[in-house]
Formats: sequence, C-alpha cells, structure tokens
Amino acid sequence: MPHLLAAAPGLWLTAVFVAPLLLTVALSFAHPGFGDVTFGFTLDNYRTALGGLYAQTFVQTVVLAVGCGALSVLLAMPIAYFIARHAGRFAGALLAAILLPYFSSFLIRVLSWQVILASGGPVDSVLHALGLLHAPLDLIGTRAAVVIGIVYGYLPIAVLPQYVVFSRIPRSTTDAAADLGAGAWRRFTSVVLPLARPGVATAALLTAVPMLGELVVPQLLGGGRGLLLGQLLQTQYVQSQNYALGSAIAVLILVAVGVLVALLLRLTRGFDEAPR
Amino acid sequence: MTLHDLRLSRRNLLGAAGALSATAFLAACGGAGGGSAAAASQLDIYSWADYFAQDNLTAFTTASGITPKITTYDSNDTLSAKLNSAAGTGFDLVVPTSGWITEYASRDLVQKIDHSRLNLSTLDPSLLDRAYDPHNQYSVPKDWGLQGVIYDPRAVGGDITTWQNFLDAGERPGVQGKIRLSGSGWENVGVALWADGKDWNTTDQSVIRAGGDRMKDWVTRTKPQFTSSNVDPIVNGSIVLAIHDQAGARRAIEQNPALRWSVPGPTSQLWVDSYAIPKDAPHLDAVYSFLNYELTEKAQITDTRFLGYPTALAGLRGKLPPGIDNVDLIFGGAGVDLSKLTTFVVNPDTIPVYQEIQTELHALS
Repeated sequence: MPHLLAAAPGLWLTAVFVAPLLLTVALSFAHPGFGDVTFGFTLDNYRTALGGLYAQTFVQTVVLAVGCGALSVLLAMPIAYFIARHAGRFAGALLAAILLPYFSSFLIRVLSWQVILASGGPVDSVLHALGLLHAPLDLIGTRAAVVIGIVYGYLPIAVLPQYVVFSRIPRSTTDAAADLGAGAWRRFTSVVLPLARPGVATAALLTAVPMLGELVVPQLLGGGRGLLLGQLLQTQYVQSQNYALGSAIAVLILVAVGVLVALLLRLTRGFDEAPR
Repeated sequence: MTLHDLRLSRRNLLGAAGALSATAFLAACGGAGGGSAAAASQLDIYSWADYFAQDNLTAFTTASGITPKITTYDSNDTLSAKLNSAAGTGFDLVVPTSGWITEYASRDLVQKIDHSRLNLSTLDPSLLDRAYDPHNQYSVPKDWGLQGVIYDPRAVGGDITTWQNFLDAGERPGVQGKIRLSGSGWENVGVALWADGKDWNTTDQSVIRAGGDRMKDWVTRTKPQFTSSNVDPIVNGSIVLAIHDQAGARRAIEQNPALRWSVPGPTSQLWVDSYAIPKDAPHLDAVYSFLNYELTEKAQITDTRFLGYPTALAGLRGKLPPGIDNVDLIFGGAGVDLSKLTTFVVNPDTIPVYQEIQTELHALS
C-alpha cells in the first residue's frame, strides 16, 4: 500500500519534472534551427553559451543574484529577529503585514515601483522637498532600480525562514550566554547566529535561486538595459526560437543552482551536532 | 524547547517552503481560469491585448449568440512560438503582423481564407494583395501602423526628418540615456539600413551584420532603453527620443503637446496586423461570422476609434465622425506617403542574425 501511495506522486514528478528535464538536456545537445531542432549530439550550444557575451551575462547574473540574495537576507534578518524575539503577541499581525503583499500580484508590485521611482513620483518629490536632489530623479531604467525592485520583491521570503529559526532558539541559551557575561552583540554573533544558520541558508536559497532567472523586474524597472540570464533564456526560446541554445543555457543555470545549493548545504553542515 | 526540536527545523523549513510553492502553484492554476468545456458556438481568439472594441464584441454576441473568448500575447514572437507548438492548437483566429504571414503559410500553420465566405470589397485596395500575401490567400488586413519617432524638439535640437537625424540626435548630450529603441532586432537594425539606403528585406547577412555593427557602436555611446508601449516616460521627459508607432505618439502628444512625431525618411516600416485562421481552427463557422461582422463599416469605424490605429476600411478618413482629436495622427500624420514605406517579411535565414544583434544591443546598452 505505501508503495502504491508513493507511485502517484512518483508518476506526477516523473511526468512534470524528470521528463521535461531530460528533454531539456537532450535538446541542449541538438542541432538548432529557427523554431526547429534536429536531435543529435553537438557541443556547439554549450560552446556558444559559455563564450563571449553569454559568459559575461552568466557572470553578471550570478553576481546580481548572489548580491541581491545577500542583501535580502541581511535586510530581513533584523525584521525576523525583532518579530521572533520582541514582538510578543503582535508577532502574528506583523508577519501577516509582511506576507500579505507577497500574495498579491508580483507584476502589480513591480509596476508600483515604476510609479514610486518615476521622475516626478513620490521619491522624487520627497528628495526635492528635503533639498537632497536638484535634478529630476532618473532611476527607472538603471541597475539600481532593478536591485531595489528585486530586493523588495523577495524580502518577504527572506523574512519567513529566518523568523521560524529565530523563534525556535530557546531563550535559555541566550540567557546562559548573558549570565556568562556576553553582551548583546556577542550573544547574537556567538549564540543566535550559529543556531540560525539553517534559516539563513534557506532564506538565501529561496531568494538567490529564483533571482537567477528573474525576468520581470529587469524588464519593467531596468528598461531592458543590460542583459541577465532570464532575459537571455527567454530571448532564445521565444524570439530566436533557438530551443537548443536555450536548453543549453537552462542546463547551465541548473548547474549554477546546484552549485549554490551545495555551497549553502555545506554552510549548514554540522548543524545537527551540538552548536559550538 | 530543546535542541532536538531545533534539529527538526531545517526539515520543517523545507516543508514550509514546499507548502509555499504549492500554494503559489495552485494560485497560478486558479488564475489561469481553468479549462472550461468547449461550447458549441464558441470562438477562441488569440490576439494582442485590447485589440477589439468592447462595443463590437458585445454587438457580435447579441447578433450571433457567440461570445468570443480572447487570449492575449504581447509580441509576434510569442504568437509564433505558440502557433509552432502544441500549446497553439485550439485557436480559431489569430492576428499576426504582416511580415509573419509568409512564414506561417510556408509552415502550414495557417489555412487558406475561403473568399466565397467573405467580402473584402469594402477594404482599402492599397492594403490588399501585398507582397507578404499575394491575393490575400492567408490573411485579411485588420489595421495598420507605422514605425516612427516621438521626440522632444527642445532636447534633440530640432526636427527629425531622416533616420540619420535620429542617429545624430541620439548622440547629443542630454539625449544620451534618454532614448528608447524597439524591442525587435529587425526594427532596430532597420534604422541603420534605412539611414544607409539599404534594402530591409535583404538576405545578404553581411549587409545585416554591417547595419548591426553600426547600431552596436551607436548603442554603446547612447545607452538606450528597450521597452514597452508605455508612453508615460516620454510624456514626463525621462525619454526624449523614442521609436514608436503612431498610436503611441498620439497618446503621448495629447498629454504633452510639446512633443513631436515623424516618420523619418528615406523609408520606414509599414505593418499591417492581419486576421489569419490557424490550420486546425475548430470553429470555422464562428470565425467567418465574426470576420464578416468585423469587416462591416460600422465595426471598422468603432475599432479605429477604440484602437487609435486605422482599420482597413476604404476611405476610412472621410467616414470618421468629426471631433476626433489629432485625427491626422491616427493615419500616421499629415503627408505620410505609404507607397514609400517598407514591410518586413520574416525570413528564417535572417531572423537568427537579427535576434543575435538584438541580444548584443541589450547587453551593450
């Protein structure tokens, strides 16, 4: 019976996950045409995907995803810590306040930033009123706007796992550290943070991995300037209809994700042992 | 809480993450509207967003009892990719841009129009029997547009009458970085080809690449954006020089009359969005019934007013009611000579070259 029960999700996973993955890998070695492929074995797609412009885009995207992921995790950390340790009975309400926007349309939230950051928009007006800016605000269409949009978009996902882990750290551990003379900062860095590693790592994973394929924010806030992997991938599949090269890029992204996951798992290894 | 409890947290976290993605997945499924059972008198249209006047759709439903179900795409590339895959089956009517029709016909993705069931005699002859579809075997023109330039004359230092003017204007201080190019590779490379007097439909890849090189140099210096049909940044001055069509120009100029629009010479693009019927369209009777309704004079005028693009009705300009703002702009502005304009025809041999150049333009901007 348990085998039968496992068969249903097993089949589902095979159909919607394993089969498309195998097809993508097979396509990545095929000979491309416009909207057409001839199955075979060539490394040309990988040669193209790892050369010149494509390699440069790959590196830029990984740097952006890792940077924005780290920024999201760092910004979310004090929020999660505060809610978990100091918000008391308001914790649920505060979490809801952070998560509710996340359940609204991602597109609408990003489009809102177009209005907020636009020349003549609220940020522009406030900066002018404070005398901090004298020329019109020209943020839309820049990499800075993309970073703001991405970090904002993924912040709630960075808060949640960190909140869970912070809230599960027994107060007795920090109390004991305090008794032994550790100050607030020392308690945080030597006791709380090491115990929170799995939450921090999960937050990093849940933000940096989707950021590798981010498509909407660079398009809407970055004016399509510069090139990131998500756009490159979409271009190959939709515009160039070069499914072979698109698949090779997709496989390389999967490898990058694999490396990222492995690194983060390495970071949390030893967690099951008693904390140092 | 003990350390044992804490040890479970990673698994719990991953479980929570799984639940989160499952929720998102279910939400996405719900958002897609689910699969409704096919009705007998159904019409599935795959088209650009907001491309049919609601008044027309309502009147057609009242007259025929058929409620068209419209799914939308945002580019010819998306339409092409979908028609070319299993996901593209089941549509009754699509609205590709002129240049794609030859390609669709050659791939057997669209079927021949049954002219015994349609009356095209009310349509403008200059939009019929064109090179991309001789004798309108596969397409019926819906509406048309032009590739031109919206600009702020104070920023660019005067009028833009040629594509060379456009390229020069982009290099002026104060204009660099405030430029918007097209999202299409051939429309952007077209600028260099037109400025140099070259044939836009050339099959000579070296000519296309030379045009691409010229645009890449230009983009490296001028840092343009590549975005949507949203004209707000043009109206508020964040963009002062933009490739656009006439409907966008009309919207922008209505909000900011200091802006100007031109169709630069020596030539530019004329596109004709056209009705085409996918190969295995399941509801052919409904399709012809809908097309016959859409081709009536009343529906064509209503669509023109709704879209801001002129439909294919012969003598349309004289038939529009008085009092429409900037009516000239609907037709591309006063003095536009359609016979001098070019229509791009998609060629599978050159498309990858144009796409490759477009990718490089994005990277260099």
